[in-house]
Amino acid sequence: MTLDALRAAHPGFEGEVRVLVHGGTCGHAVGVAPHGGFLRQSAGDACAEAACDGACWAAPAATVLRPGHSHRFARLDETGVEPLLTCLAGSCDARADDRGEREHRGGLMSRLGRTDGTLAGALAAGAYEAAARALAMAPAEVIDAVEAMELTGRGGAHFPTGQKWCFATGGEPPVLVVNAEEGEPGVFKDRHMLEGDPHRVIEGMLIAAHATGATDACVYINGQARRARAAFEHALAEAAEAGILGGDALGAAVALTIEVRSGAGGYVCGEETVILNSIEGQRPVPRFKPPQITEAGLFGRPTLLNNVETLAAATLLFDPPAAPPKLVPLSGAVARPGLYEVAVDGQATWGSLLEAARGGAHAPPGVGSLLVGGPSGVFVAAEQFDEPLEMAALGAGGLVALAPGGEANVTLELARYNARESCGECTPCREGTVRLVELLEAPSLDRPKLDELIDVITEASLCQLGGMAGRPIASALATFPQAFSNGAAGAAE
Amino acid sequence: MSDQTNEAEADATRPAPPVDAPDVVEALETLPRRRDQLLPALIAAEHALGWLSEAAIEDVSVHTRIPLSEVYATATAYSELRLEPPVEGRWHVCTGVTCRQAGADALLDALAGSGESAEPVDCRFLCALAPVAERGGALFGRCEAQRLIALAVEDGDRS
Repeated sequence: MTLDALRAAHPGFEGEVRVLVHGGTCGHAVGVAPHGGFLRQSAGDACAEAACDGACWAAPAATVLRPGHSHRFARLDETGVEPLLTCLAGSCDARADDRGEREHRGGLMSRLGRTDGTLAGALAAGAYEAAARALAMAPAEVIDAVEAMELTGRGGAHFPTGQKWCFATGGEPPVLVVNAEEGEPGVFKDRHMLEGDPHRVIEGMLIAAHATGATDACVYINGQARRARAAFEHALAEAAEAGILGGDALGAAVALTIEVRSGAGGYVCGEETVILNSIEGQRPVPRFKPPQITEAGLFGRPTLLNNVETLAAATLLFDPPAAPPKLVPLSGAVARPGLYEVAVDGQATWGSLLEAARGGAHAPPGVGSLLVGGPSGVFVAAEQFDEPLEMAALGAGGLVALAPGGEANVTLELARYNARESCGECTPCREGTVRLVELLEAPSLDRPKLDELIDVITEASLCQLGGMAGRPIASALATFPQAFSNGAAGAAE
Repeated sequence: MSDQTNEAEADATRPAPPVDAPDVVEALETLPRRRDQLLPALIAAEHALGWLSEAAIEDVSVHTRIPLSEVYATATAYSELRLEPPVEGRWHVCTGVTCRQAGADALLDALAGSGESAEPVDCRFLCALAPVAERGGALFGRCEAQRLIALAVEDGDRS
């Protein structure tokens, strides 16, 4: 079968005008249901439910799509539906027009929340084109192409993906494990991708499986991301039924069996060996390395572990953006919190990202600093907002815009969080994170002791929860020393 | 994908499960009897009962053939598995960094002051809609205390 035949077998909505009501986790959390019901009555078959398109700030929202025209109506209420119906009838009210920054977007978010969630909708929007082309190539050529696009791991470590795939070849076929645990507070990109464009993730998995020879895979999804799991499983069922999984619908047979597992909470569960233990039915604690999981991972088998966003980005293989894209979940003191796709091109800065979120450029009054990377992260002060974004500095991408003056309080909260979330497997982290909190809570800061303890925890912890627990503290002390003159607890009061 | 080593053990050697919740046993019967099904079994048991009672944990141990001590150690390692019965109608208010900045503490105080049962929880990953609360498994974004209290009253009137 060819991709054209697959599309012909799955025709999508054939009308010219479509209304997508953005439900998903975001929409339903702010009461989209009544608006969706009303719009379905008014627009009939033209109305369909889509997931959040990343503009979480706009929820509850709906988008009118017609050829060459996209019009998102944000924050629907009783008065907001009428202009939408006017637009639907062919006449748009310019005042109501939300000219979102994503009207002409491409890349990773091009389909996010922009289809009706069906395979037909995804195919019509270009899904599986990259996989069909990749499957026609030799696996080594695919790996070369991934290396050429300089894709790096989007879970936060930014290890070169092509190199990782290369390590997984040459011996026993690896098992592919997809990290969708995403347990870092402030991060919500992978669950958006699974909810809003699940076929892109499946497509990325097919490309990875073809390149490395993997025949079975396990997707480990955060236990709270229930809608994400449901959307992904629905997409899996559709892909299997259409012969994309286990058939030759893309022109070549791909024998990839995909299992889905849910986590049950815990920051440490995003660590790669913890995921493997969790899937195996062991306690969710990290393993010693070596062996590396590429040699002996899940059930002792060679294992390739990739983040959801990494696999989604692999689908851009044949049309790579000029600059590497990164999904950035941005929340906090900005007017338009949500999911952003940033081109890390050396020109984009922290400030331009805030500007995109209408937070205002160049240290806007509402934003005193950015927390980048949550409990393992660092602070970026307003004076640094003009610095260009670097992929490694973005980590997994989670950004929280903080109001001025709250850094000491946030530092203490992060330290308490890390102490709570320590799995207890290794002493430096189990004991050290608790002592960090005690030192921060003291009336005056014992800086030499704190620095020494951070060094010990960083060097001696078994995994990166402990290894990076001191990072936000060290960053806060370096960036906002005056905030800790009376200890973090004193500053917080 | 699984480790098949203990799957072949005969069911005849299996002791009778300590049934006090037939729903739990029924839920577990849908899962293979393998070690790698431990977390799915714990989640299924919690889903069936609403929490993990001692008997439910024993049921999981029997079903998966994993020692009770290991099952308990695993159940207590996941922050979202409940080992106490849930309080009906309790609000879980997210106290992640974004929600706290958006007024999560004031929301907790206002709920408690109105006689609502409320407790702080870690990040619910809906940061763009802070402050966030959860009740009965449903998430609520951009929460204001008065709206949540009104919702609770509506639910009370309906039940």
